[in-house]
Amino acid sequence: MSYATSMVAAVPVFGRMFKVESEAELEDINAWPAAMIMASFIWFFAAVLLGISLPLTQMLGLDASLFYTAITGHGAAMAFPFVFQLMMGVGLHRAAGCVGKPVSGWIPATAFWMMNIGALLFTIAILMGLKISYAVMYPLPVVGVETGQWSMTSLIIGFTGIAGILVTVIVLFPVQVIKMFFFDKEREELVLHRRKLSDPGMLGMAMAAFVLLIMGSPLLIVASAVLLGLYGILPFAWIPWATDPMVFQFVFYIFAHNLMEAMAIMIVSAVYATLPLYLADGTRQLYSNKLANLALWILLVTSVTSFFHHFYTMFPALPSALSYHGNIMSWGTGVGAAITIFTITMTIVKHGLRAEAGVMAVLMGFTLYILDGVSAIITSTVAWSYQLHGTMWQAGHTMAVLIAVAMMWMGVLLHHYPVITGRVLDKTRGMWFVILYTVGAMGLAYSFLAAGAAGMPRRFASWDQEGWMIYGYLILFFGLCMTLSMLIFFIDVSKARRINTGAEAAPAE
Amino acid sequence: MLEFIYQSGWGAFTMLLLFQIPFLLVFLTVIYRKAYVDTSASTITDAKISKLRGGWLTLVIALFLVINIVGIQYIPAIYTAKAANSSVAAVDVAIEAQSWSYDMSVREFEVGKPVRFNAVSLDTVHGFAVYHPGGRVLFTMMLVPGVGESSLIYTFNEPGTYKVRCLEYCGAAHHEMSDEIIVTEASS
Repeated sequence: MSYATSMVAAVPVFGRMFKVESEAELEDINAWPAAMIMASFIWFFAAVLLGISLPLTQMLGLDASLFYTAITGHGAAMAFPFVFQLMMGVGLHRAAGCVGKPVSGWIPATAFWMMNIGALLFTIAILMGLKISYAVMYPLPVVGVETGQWSMTSLIIGFTGIAGILVTVIVLFPVQVIKMFFFDKEREELVLHRRKLSDPGMLGMAMAAFVLLIMGSPLLIVASAVLLGLYGILPFAWIPWATDPMVFQFVFYIFAHNLMEAMAIMIVSAVYATLPLYLADGTRQLYSNKLANLALWILLVTSVTSFFHHFYTMFPALPSALSYHGNIMSWGTGVGAAITIFTITMTIVKHGLRAEAGVMAVLMGFTLYILDGVSAIITSTVAWSYQLHGTMWQAGHTMAVLIAVAMMWMGVLLHHYPVITGRVLDKTRGMWFVILYTVGAMGLAYSFLAAGAAGMPRRFASWDQEGWMIYGYLILFFGLCMTLSMLIFFIDVSKARRINTGAEAAPAE
Repeated sequence: MLEFIYQSGWGAFTMLLLFQIPFLLVFLTVIYRKAYVDTSASTITDAKISKLRGGWLTLVIALFLVINIVGIQYIPAIYTAKAANSSVAAVDVAIEAQSWSYDMSVREFEVGKPVRFNAVSLDTVHGFAVYHPGGRVLFTMMLVPGVGESSLIYTFNEPGTYKVRCLEYCGAAHHEMSDEIIVTEASS
């Protein structure tokens, strides 16, 4: 039994949900992914509690610092140790099963520990008073120390944690994917469903790995320099290029924007892989692989430079030409999404669908992803950006893309769960999870977007003015719907039955 | 109508629904029908699919072009350039944002007179958002220290007290970073 398998088995409550009990020969593609998936849900549990506390702090009139602590912790836990780690776990398992390469050795192990220890350090820093939102808002971390809002120690601990997370996201995960796709030796016994890189179900995974590695490198260099400065190893006089706020803003958003796009490209690819397995006529083929790949290429090319939409409202510091470019590229991603919609719709129309929880979660997650894509394109239109930038609209967009991507990955996880754990899930509970999550997520998204349309600022600890509190009540209600859906999900995975006890296995990929 | 669509958050929300509702209706109906009503393979021909694909992509590209071309006149850089070139001189306002207040050189303006807002941040990232007395955002600017001025020209159409808020999270009292500007009727 591998170290990762033993570790998962030893974790109370959550370990039971994702314990690897399938065939021993598959341990090399199951163990570390199971550990990552388990850890991601522990972080999600924390993120949900913090998320629910946000409207509550406002309704109960609690101190603003509690709100800012909760929002920093909530955003940080949602984006990286939950969604990214879930994607890393399910994605690596899925890719490994397609190319017959192991997810073992020091890279996945280091990725797991750096992500979780990094997130833990960042959480400790937040509890020590560091309130910088998950977007860091540089140079706020340094200004906060200078103005006595938090301590230098909390800043150093927090930045050390963020560095761990960044190394995982920008280096270790992409390197593991590239290693599996291009270098490792195939092991026949690990192949679950052979796919080539040209397969739309695989192409997005490779694209995303390169996007993260390439678009994240500048941030890693700048953040490393700042961290070495904070440690006192490099004098700050040597690194003015790294501490310049504008440099940091650009490298941060080139990475953060493309991180979201990479996650979207990767999950669209996973949808292309999963949907055909649930077609009613057993065709197991998309309507058109060429069209599916075209959509991925369009998404890739247009998304890379659409990050300028984060800076429109700095005019004229951001030249108009770059604003227009960001505007057009953002709409270009919509063309890629439109082609994806057509491919998926036509695949279902042509071949029918077997309604099972996994594929329904994938499709409802995809629906949320498209709805969110519309909100993203609207706020990325220069004219609208001047009314929406910095409002709850953008908080809603960020949240919606995360919960949409998470839902799609949870759908893919439901499909792969029997192969990873050797157990099967209950179909009724699975469907209730899908229904409640969809209602909660859509309700949350519309509540945030309407609040943004009404001018309610994001990351703002004073909701009780201008009639904004109504959005707070809606956010709380739909947040509770999502919490209930996750409780059902957790009950489902806790009570999963072993396949050899007569349970019906899900179709293996 | 166009001004409402392109110049207000609720206009953006309306556009959002115009895109989302047809998608939701069609996509969810297809899933429901093919998963629960009639799961059999469809007899739809390749020629029909090809026509649908052409129509769909044409619609998408047409919307892309129309919405962006019509919206050009509402881009602040465009209306700022127009106002700067008009015969009416703009009132210049220098704004310095610093945690957690604004220092504004002028706080009272007249209806119909263009105002050029030139804003900088002195410490961390701040926002400068002007709210209509009715509560909607008229425009917002992002101020990054060391970048130089963010600037645009805006002409107020109604008298009243306009709230200014910071829309970029800037620390412990971010929610208290606000100010007011007064717009009065035009003097003859």
